[in-house]
Amino acid sequence: MNKKHLIFSPVTRLSGLLSVDVFLEKGVVREAKASSTFFRGFEWIMKGRQITDAVYLTQRICGICSLAHGAVSSYLVDKIYDNEISENAQYLRNIMFAADFLQNHIRHFYIFSIPDYVRMPSHPPFHGQNKADLRLDEKQNRSIAENYFEAVKASQRCHEILALFGGKAPHQHSFLFGGVTAAPTADKINRALALLSSIKEFIHSRMLPDTEIIAHAYNDYFTIGKTPPRLLSFGLFRFGPKNERVLWESGVLVNGRIKPLQPELISEEVTSSWFKQVETGEPIPDPRKPGGYSWVKTAKYDGEFVEVGPLARMLINGKYHGSTSTMDRIIARSLETALIADLMEEWLLRLKPGPPPFNHKKTPVRNSAVSITDAMRGALLHRAILTGEQISKYDVITPTVWNFSPKDQLGKHGPVENALINTEIPRNVPAETVLGRIIRSFDPCLSCATHVVTVT
Amino acid sequence: MEKKIFEQMVKDAAASGNFLQKLLPFLKEHRKEKLPVIWIETNDSGDNNISLMNSTFPYLGQIFDDLIDLLYSNTMMAAQGKDAVFILEQAAKKYSGRYTLVVEGAVPVRDNGLYNIIYKTEQGDVTALEAVRELGKTAKYVVAAGTCASFGGPSAARPNITGSMSVQAVLPREVIRVSGCPINPDWLVGTLAHLLLYGRPELDDQGRPVLFYGFTIHRHCQRRSYFDTGNLADSLGDIRCMFSQGCMGPVTFADCPYRQWVDHINWPVKASTPCIGCTNPDFPDGSTPFFTPMPQKGPNELGPQTGGKNNE
Repeated sequence: MNKKHLIFSPVTRLSGLLSVDVFLEKGVVREAKASSTFFRGFEWIMKGRQITDAVYLTQRICGICSLAHGAVSSYLVDKIYDNEISENAQYLRNIMFAADFLQNHIRHFYIFSIPDYVRMPSHPPFHGQNKADLRLDEKQNRSIAENYFEAVKASQRCHEILALFGGKAPHQHSFLFGGVTAAPTADKINRALALLSSIKEFIHSRMLPDTEIIAHAYNDYFTIGKTPPRLLSFGLFRFGPKNERVLWESGVLVNGRIKPLQPELISEEVTSSWFKQVETGEPIPDPRKPGGYSWVKTAKYDGEFVEVGPLARMLINGKYHGSTSTMDRIIARSLETALIADLMEEWLLRLKPGPPPFNHKKTPVRNSAVSITDAMRGALLHRAILTGEQISKYDVITPTVWNFSPKDQLGKHGPVENALINTEIPRNVPAETVLGRIIRSFDPCLSCATHVVTVT
Repeated sequence: MEKKIFEQMVKDAAASGNFLQKLLPFLKEHRKEKLPVIWIETNDSGDNNISLMNSTFPYLGQIFDDLIDLLYSNTMMAAQGKDAVFILEQAAKKYSGRYTLVVEGAVPVRDNGLYNIIYKTEQGDVTALEAVRELGKTAKYVVAAGTCASFGGPSAARPNITGSMSVQAVLPREVIRVSGCPINPDWLVGTLAHLLLYGRPELDDQGRPVLFYGFTIHRHCQRRSYFDTGNLADSLGDIRCMFSQGCMGPVTFADCPYRQWVDHINWPVKASTPCIGCTNPDFPDGSTPFFTPMPQKGPNELGPQTGGKNNE
């Protein structure tokens, strides 16, 4: 009974607010509880509004992956109105989605992750950096710290491509149900290509080499922060007039075998979440619930926890061959960044200059729909039930919910908690240093974990 | 530099886009110190700190070098855990009466603010409500970044089950409201530059800096001639006036048509979609249904927005 309780709070350098409680015994993590400590209740906000409001409103769930919510709600509204998406609109939508992916991955790697591994300048906001386990030489430190500020510029250019077509970013305007309202003119295509060229240059000459340097110097992280090999993806980059095809396949990877995705196997519970279960209807938020420790609910697939994110996508699509460790997650994200930049260039070249590829039908043909896609951090689902054109129920299951699931009714842990448990903390290294690296490899975004749940 | 010249430069930003680049040499020469900033994230999507990273001239690196000392920021600081809490406490003491408190997000008040815990310590949890009230006492300026912090925004949208309020509603002192969902980086960086150089900027009756929020979108809209001749868009994606598509431009105070977004390249109406009034005190409830023309949005069936009230 010699357990040491550590409250790791705040876990900085991520989107939203996160605290993690760990219990250590002889330098080994024996228990971990990840707490998302803020709640917004977006699904309640959606009730009673027009279904067409969903695209702009749900983007406000998340600042760093806003277009993922815009995209999946656009697919949802397309289903409800039976819209036909033109080929030009399909390319343009995916170009915009790719631009938001690139800014997310570049920002995550440099702004959020790099200060875990690289000696930063001593001025704010880098003051007080813990330097106990920084392993790079002076030249590498200086060069990657410089690249941090180049990354700021490269990610700004990603959002510039998004704004060029989308009006603004974050929370773009033109990627809507029915297509895209902005005209893909020659000047815009040309400007986007020029911006992309400088982004690709950054990815290949800085981001990939920097990833390699870190993977080499911190190669023990290929065995630290491992999760059980159960991963899931909803697929990425929808094409087809009915958004019916995904370029990168969906699937579930369990112990090396890929199975087709069956959305009906998704289940949710609130045992350790700050929600009170009621007999009928939705659980009620209850920040004082005994046993509750997070605003994230527990999500499972076929009764098991699954990890989502770039690593899951890359493994399921055969684009990466590795394990499920901290460093595998980081490498998969960087490699995905390069692949997405190439795809985006291909799509820009296929785009035909012309009028806005937009055609939204006026009459709904269905009163409910579900839509899915992978977002930057993994599997994202929106679901709506309507009365006429008004929302009577709107559900969101975000990637963070899968990864940051708190304990289930049997006391089993979700992916992030699982990755932390059994981690050995070396002497002379603060536990936060090791835990922070593991946690950030999941690219946490607690802003997304903001909704009321439906437990079926 | 004359204050008048500075303000003219800011207003002229549409032409050059890069007014702050011109300003930087001046800042370097005349400034005694940077603006010490403590940035607290509360109920928000984090879009405002992402938008800040979209600033061009100054880019984020230049902002850190020349404009602000970002002493605490959940998103960007290298320190974490107890070290971060220690830095926050020390900064609030050392710069007491001198720091600028930036709050990004609304402040939930229901259940004593338990819907938003900034961080946990062995002594207990610190809610956004406590943090904003405490840090607000000893700040020189308080800046609300984004519409959630300024007026409640989407975080306080009906039915507002967390009881989210604007910063002003929980803090009995002047709050400079830099609204927008998200902020245009120029609005925030420009406000911080004004605070450093001249102190408090002139504010409108909503507490927003006049130099960014002084005129309506409608007044400066490139498509105003279509409106004046009754030439309204048939659908989204149309080149004509977006009033018919739900545009809130006539009642929305912001300089988007001049300034534009992400290196001054575009804005929603230019992308052939309506302005949705994201800088307004009643955003989003006063703007939905987004695609219904203003006169038909009618009295809001959803009831009044509760988070954006001025301080009692």
